[in-house]
Amino acid sequence: MLSLSASTVVHPSGYGKSTLWNAVVQGRSGLRQNSLDWCDLPCWLGAVPGVGDTRLPAHLTAWDCRNHRLAWLALQDASFRSAVALAVSRHGSHRVGLVLGTSTSGMRQTEMAYAQRQTSGQWPADFNYRHSHSVDALCRFTAEVLKLQGPMTGVSTACSSSAKVFLTAQRWIDAGLIDAAVVGGVDSLCLSTLHGFDALQLLSTTICRPFDAARNGLSIGEAAGFVLLDRHPAAVQFAGGGESSDAWHMSTPHPEGQGAQSAMVAALTAARIEASDIGYVNAHGTATPANDRSEAAALVSVFGAQGVPVSSTKGITGHALGAAGIVEAIVTAQALEHQVLPPAANLVVPDPLFALNLVLEAQPALFQYAMSNNFGFGGSNCTLIFKKAD
Amino acid sequence: MSSLNFHLHAASVLAPGMTSLAQLRSICRNNQPPVSADALPLPSPDMLPANERRRASQVVRLTQACIQQVLEDCPFPVESLRSVFATDEGTGEVCQQVLQAVTTTRQVSPLVFSNSVQNAPSGYFSISWRNRQSSTVVSLGLESFASGLLCAVTEAIACAQPVLLVAYDPPIAAPMDELLSIREATATAWIISSGAKSDSTPRLASFALELENAGSHAPSAWPIWLPTRWSTHSSASALAALGLLEAPLATSYRMTFGTQHLSLQRLG
Repeated sequence: MLSLSASTVVHPSGYGKSTLWNAVVQGRSGLRQNSLDWCDLPCWLGAVPGVGDTRLPAHLTAWDCRNHRLAWLALQDASFRSAVALAVSRHGSHRVGLVLGTSTSGMRQTEMAYAQRQTSGQWPADFNYRHSHSVDALCRFTAEVLKLQGPMTGVSTACSSSAKVFLTAQRWIDAGLIDAAVVGGVDSLCLSTLHGFDALQLLSTTICRPFDAARNGLSIGEAAGFVLLDRHPAAVQFAGGGESSDAWHMSTPHPEGQGAQSAMVAALTAARIEASDIGYVNAHGTATPANDRSEAAALVSVFGAQGVPVSSTKGITGHALGAAGIVEAIVTAQALEHQVLPPAANLVVPDPLFALNLVLEAQPALFQYAMSNNFGFGGSNCTLIFKKAD
Repeated sequence: MSSLNFHLHAASVLAPGMTSLAQLRSICRNNQPPVSADALPLPSPDMLPANERRRASQVVRLTQACIQQVLEDCPFPVESLRSVFATDEGTGEVCQQVLQAVTTTRQVSPLVFSNSVQNAPSGYFSISWRNRQSSTVVSLGLESFASGLLCAVTEAIACAQPVLLVAYDPPIAAPMDELLSIREATATAWIISSGAKSDSTPRLASFALELENAGSHAPSAWPIWLPTRWSTHSSASALAALGLLEAPLATSYRMTFGTQHLSLQRLG
């Protein structure tokens, strides 16, 4: 079984997985009323502190964009860098793969460049399409920073992107192509997603409240997260995952959550455990009326009414879209490590239509397995199961 | 590492002057690029529900037509296919439409936004054919096909299920085409399975896939029979690889894949 040997994350509440965990268990949200000077939508969002002032080192400036600044901030974690360096020295740089998810890559940089192209007729001289806009730019930037030479790929399946990376990496390791992989994802705030979700009337004007009776939409966040997967013993292991498609609608989930159910059941099968073995589910829980209704139906179908303890932590982090999977995988892994159930953030009145066992406050618990759900546009579903090492 | 073996059961081709696998093979045998300079006619995606059909973007039309073609020769039930979609800039004109909106009126069409995700073609595939299997979109610039092929083959082996692999490049709209020059649509879809020798399912050929150190061999040269203007298309590697069907056994096609090469060798 693969281990989560090291991890790093930057998120709206700060830098590092400890900061993330403390924010989650203490209910300290990183979401704020929108104060971006380049977007005037009346919404709440989660901006990573300091990203605007972050500067890449001289040899990496060609890669400069908001997405890579986030990645760079996350990759400053010394213990993560040491673990990756150890994996490289142990296996060789060609035997450490890289599988990273993003939905919009460096879109904010392209938006600024496009605006200049429209007014001046010229693209900015320093705009590098391949190094910021392309989906693979994140992989190539990260490979450059970490000095990795193994096989790599970008995964872009909207909000399931950085959950599916675990499955791809696992298949590459099982096939003998590599011995270890850095998996993860980065997504950054941009006009396209903010105005896009606003156009779909899915953006909340208040702080998002997953599974609450009064929920009225999501709060967009941004984040970067990376995990080193290998066979080295560690506190938390990747027990297996499941993937499925809704075959229903591009931007609306199946009302009964059929695709979500399939992904959860497939993950349980892959992990060779029963639903009753799961002690906690970190739900996708975006706080849109339809998404939460669909996921609640799926959870009840798989775990029964008032079954497994469930929470969504997007009230702390916001919905980091293509980075949601990795952020929530890191939260779920820490829940196992600390043996604490993370509470459902911003939950005031649970929706009475949901027969869910929602975690209302952080509480200690003994559990060996935990699940993380991520579902995206296009009906793309992915469920991950993590295990506390024996 | 040892090589990963797989069977190719069916393949479709959709590009200007090259609208079927048979046509690609004929062009490859004649060793002359196709003469057609006409834009590729993309049919209405009849497999989609009527409300979705009207709104389908060019890349959705391209991929669904390519998939429809390969399914005609697919020996597996469509509902059993997992899928991997490999593309460089897979949103085509939709990306430009979103950029135009957010830099002017900021009124983004809800439909355009829903179609702006890289996995719109894979989502429409699952909707069109009621396919509820896993579908993944991978991208690695010009090496997108190499990464997609590796993902598809490892998925076929790990999951013991057939996999639909779609490699495609939609035309890039102005002014984005000043940054990425892709002016014609090219696509191919493959049906593959793990290469069990005992498998008697009809197939076109069997292959071995292997990661190699870049220094061991040079990547394969651009085939004479492929138009050089497609050298900016990630899916052109997939079209070139289909040329192995006309090559002697044991012939290899080598693609750049990061700092390494991905070697595809025809076994039988």
